[in-house]
Amino acid sequence: MAQRMAQTAKLLVGVWIAGVAVAMFLVVPQYEGLGNAGRIIIMHVPTAWVSVMAFAISALFSGLYLWRGRPEHDDYALAAAESGFLFTVLATVTGAIFSQVVWGVYWNWDPRQTSIFVLLLIYAALFALRSSIDDVARRRQLSAVYSIFAFITVPFLIFIAPRISDSTLHPNCAFIQGSTCDGIALEVGKLGLLGDRKVELLSLDRAGDVVTAQVQVTEPGLNGSATLSPTYDVALDNAVDRPNFPGLRFSLVVEGVDMTTNSVRLNIEAPGTGLLDNGRTLFTFLASIFGFTALFFWMLNVRATLLGVQWALARREGARS
Amino acid sequence: MQAQPEQQEQQEIEPGQAIRSIGVRDLLAAAWAIFVKDLRSELRTRYALNALVLFAASAAVAVSLGVGFIGMRRTDEYLLIQSALLWIALLFAALNGLSRGFVYEEETRTMAALRLAAPAISVYLGKLLFNLALLLLLDTVTSLLFIVLVRVEVGSPLAFVLVLAAGGLCLATATTILAAIIARASFKSALFAVLAFPLLVPPLIVAIQGTALTLDSAGMTLALPAIRTLLAYAVAMFVASLMLFRFVWEA
Repeated sequence: MAQRMAQTAKLLVGVWIAGVAVAMFLVVPQYEGLGNAGRIIIMHVPTAWVSVMAFAISALFSGLYLWRGRPEHDDYALAAAESGFLFTVLATVTGAIFSQVVWGVYWNWDPRQTSIFVLLLIYAALFALRSSIDDVARRRQLSAVYSIFAFITVPFLIFIAPRISDSTLHPNCAFIQGSTCDGIALEVGKLGLLGDRKVELLSLDRAGDVVTAQVQVTEPGLNGSATLSPTYDVALDNAVDRPNFPGLRFSLVVEGVDMTTNSVRLNIEAPGTGLLDNGRTLFTFLASIFGFTALFFWMLNVRATLLGVQWALARREGARS
Repeated sequence: MQAQPEQQEQQEIEPGQAIRSIGVRDLLAAAWAIFVKDLRSELRTRYALNALVLFAASAAVAVSLGVGFIGMRRTDEYLLIQSALLWIALLFAALNGLSRGFVYEEETRTMAALRLAAPAISVYLGKLLFNLALLLLLDTVTSLLFIVLVRVEVGSPLAFVLVLAAGGLCLATATTILAAIIARASFKSALFAVLAFPLLVPPLIVAIQGTALTLDSAGMTLALPAIRTLLAYAVAMFVASLMLFRFVWEA
């Protein structure tokens, strides 16, 4: 009975993932500015989520192993680390491809890129440690200690991320709903920072209901600048023109105008902002997260069982000889 | 093969109970004794001392050959480069020398004797103290050499010293337990660097940026968040090590 349920679950996960893959290309609409490359987030975000979850589960089972000393727990910890490593590689590669398409660079030491790189290093170190200890009990215990010890550094990666986030490329406010990205309020003649770009509001002109802001945008390192003129409709209360930052697909948008103080609220907007407002995309995205999580747990279970069987066989061999 | 009789002994003693019955003062006394013993045997062989100091000297000279000429302008980028180079020298010297404490015990086969003589926590504290002493020396030598050879001008010395000290604490607390782990494995020194580096990335980022700030003159207020983050990291690593060291020591 349990076997049949496992079979069914396996088939369901396979069909589900296949469905997500099809929906990624057929159901999700293209969004402006990104073309087909934007579809990759349906794969990228869930794999990144699974890779962090796998790391947490590995640390959890390592803790259980240290507490109870049962080999099965170590099998689960190792299986979680191994499948988590696969997902981490997938998340890194899909992210790098997307980064190249959208921002023109594969790698930028963005805070999230730094943390996923550290995650890859930790997994690699864990496997290196495991392969260099011969005694089985000792290998299990020491790698469990390292796994927990490494997991403790993760909050610090998240904690220090804001310190280096001046140069972030990740569109925090574009893709993740509920996260805030306030932008800046500028009066005419004042300077400010948007992401890593310096912006200066040169002038505000009103023609009918439409307000045009002349904004000078300066590249990081002060090399090269351009004047952009985003516009805003005061009557309808929304942005009209969203010019792109030079050389990027991010656009500059006016989010509000206050004519009494002669100031505007400027913000940076990624292509595909409001993407998840679209129901079809949102459901495909959620389905993908669910599918990948289920896939991970299935892989975890299979690999851990296999490790258990291997261990039992090795012990029987040892007992015979 | 060697491990099995030791493990049987361990089960009879039950280290957790042994610790509870001893009391904090004796624990610290044992830790101090281990520290003094390590210091004494280090002064006899001077293995770690030589490795650390010579590494620091050669790193400083190599850096100085590249970027030490007069006429470099002190821009923000240059300060950042200087502090990154300083921390690279410190990191690699530390990765060379800090595993010595436990590897030495394994090589001279004195691990078992140490296990009998003192509770696990005392061993950890003693080795941590020893590593801190080594790092104090390393920090001093390296930063002096950098100031002389690479012409690093320190704008606010107090903040500079504090960032270096906090960064050194992070290095010591994160690597001492790893040294105990790799003492039991093969390919010890290579494995030590592999295990330590990912854990040291977060404090390194903070320390490099913090040190660059202290090279400028208005450093203390700007560097304070960095110092705080480094101290928080060191405390987290220290507490985790205290809790986990028992398992490494038993293995």
